[in-house]
Amino acid sequence: MKKKLVLTILFITTVLCFQAQYSHAKSRQSGELKGGIRIQKAQKLYWENGFSFDFKSPKIFDNRLHLGASYVTTRLGSALGTNAIKQDNFLVSGGYHFRPKMQFQPFARLNAGYFHADYEYAIFDVLPNSAVLLSLDAGLSYEFEIPLTLCLSAGYNLNSGSGSSGPGTLYPVFYQMSIFYTLLKKR
Amino acid sequence: MTTKNIFFRLLVIFFLCLAACSKTPDINNETMLDGDQIFDPSLYNPAKYLVSVGIPNPGAVQKNTPVIIAVHGYSATTFEWEEFRTYCNAKANVLISQVLLGGHGLTYEDFKSSTWENWQEPIMNEYNALLAKGYTNINFAGSSTACPLVMDLIKKGIIGDNGMKHIFMVDPIVIPSDKLLTLIGLVGPMLGYLESTMTVAEEGRYYHFRPQETLKQLLNLTEKTRKDLQEGYNVPSGIRLKVYKSIKDPTADAVSAVLIYKGLKHSDGSNIDVEMIESDLHVVTRLDGRDNITQHDRDNQAHVFDDMYRILIQ
Repeated sequence: MKKKLVLTILFITTVLCFQAQYSHAKSRQSGELKGGIRIQKAQKLYWENGFSFDFKSPKIFDNRLHLGASYVTTRLGSALGTNAIKQDNFLVSGGYHFRPKMQFQPFARLNAGYFHADYEYAIFDVLPNSAVLLSLDAGLSYEFEIPLTLCLSAGYNLNSGSGSSGPGTLYPVFYQMSIFYTLLKKR
Repeated sequence: MTTKNIFFRLLVIFFLCLAACSKTPDINNETMLDGDQIFDPSLYNPAKYLVSVGIPNPGAVQKNTPVIIAVHGYSATTFEWEEFRTYCNAKANVLISQVLLGGHGLTYEDFKSSTWENWQEPIMNEYNALLAKGYTNINFAGSSTACPLVMDLIKKGIIGDNGMKHIFMVDPIVIPSDKLLTLIGLVGPMLGYLESTMTVAEEGRYYHFRPQETLKQLLNLTEKTRKDLQEGYNVPSGIRLKVYKSIKDPTADAVSAVLIYKGLKHSDGSNIDVEMIESDLHVVTRLDGRDNITQHDRDNQAHVFDDMYRILIQ
C-alpha cells in the first residue's frame, strides 16, 4: 500500500515537473532545468550514486523554490563489484534557496520517496526491505559562470531502520554532492 | 555588539561541552559490574570456565571430545553462555570453555580503556592453549560482538586449517539496530557514556554504563567487519559455519545476517548456513535474567542448543 502511494506521488511530481517545464517553454515563460550526477555517502555505510534533476522558475517563489527528482543507488556505488547490498533510493524534493540571484546560495530541502533493498536470497524474505523515505538536508549551492552548478549538503533520514522495523541498511545521516548541467533555460 | 554576543554564546556552549566530557557515571559498587566489588566469576576460578586450565593434561578420549569455546558479546560476561554450560554438562560428551573478553568483567575504568583488539586476545589465548594441549575437535560459539571478533581472526588467517571444526554465531552484529551509534564519534565526547536499562538479575553481569570510548571501539570493529564482508572472504577448509539470527533484534540488526551470508563463504565456495529465528530478543540463547520470557523464547533456545549439539556430535 505504502509502495503504491509513494510511486503515485513520485509519478505525479515528475509529471508536474515536466509539465511545468513544457508549459514554460511553450508560453515563453522563464524556467531552468538542470540535470546531473549525485554522489551520496551514508555516515558509516555505503556510497550511493546516481542522477538528479532540478527545476526552478521566477514564477515559483521567484526562483527560491527548487523542485527536484533523483535516483541514487549502491549499484553505482559500494555494490559495484562487491558484496554490498544493492539498494535504490527514488526521491522527489522541494528546496528553498536563499540569495537566489547570487552565485553562492545556501539552501534547505525536504525530500520524500521510496527505498528498496535487494537481499537476493529467499531466506531473507522475512526481513523488511523497503520503506518510505522522508529526509531533510541543507547545504550550499554554487552556480558557475559556465552552465554548471555544484551542490553540497548534509541530511538526515527521519525513518531509518531500527532493528525491529525498517530496512537495516537505511542509515540516518548522509552527505551529498551534486553536479548539475543546465539542460534548458528559457528567459 | 551582536558578534560579541554570538561569540560569548558559542564560548558558553563550548565550555558546557567540555564540562560534559568529564562526566562520570554514578556507579553503585555493591550491585553493578561497573564497580570495584563485583567481577566476573571466571577471574576467580578459571579452571571451572576454561578447559585448557581445568583439564591441563587431557587423555586421548578428552583430546577427541568436542570442545566449544563460547564467547559473549560487548559489555556482557561469561554469564551469557551459562545456560549452554548447563546444557553441555547434562550431555556430558561436550566440553565448554567460557571465555571472558579482554577488558570485560572488571571495573568501568578497565572497560573504558580497552580496545576491540584487547577484547579479542582471550579468544586466541584459549584456542592456542587447546591446540597446544592436543585437542583435535575445537569449535566456537559466539554471541553478538564475539562474532565480528572471530570473523576478524578468520580474515587475518589467524584461525586457519588447524583444528577448528564448527563456528556458531548467535545474533552476530555487523549492522547495529540503533543507527544513532553511527554518530557516537560526534556526540560521544559530550555524553561520556550511555546508560542501559536492565533487570535486577542482569545487574552485576552486564555493564550498566557503556563508556563512549568502548562504543567507538564497537563501531570501529563492526565497520571493519562490514568492509571485509563487502570484499568477501572464505572460512578455512574443514570449518562449517552456521548463523542463528533473531528477526527483530533490538541490538544487532537482522540485516547483519545478509551481509555475512553474502560476504563469507565456506572454503569450497558454498554458502554458509543461516537460520532466521522468529524472535525479538538479542542473543536468543540467553534467557536467564530477562523479564517476560515466553514459551516461544524457551523453544527457540532449546532449538538452537539442540541444533548446535547435533552438529557437534555428528
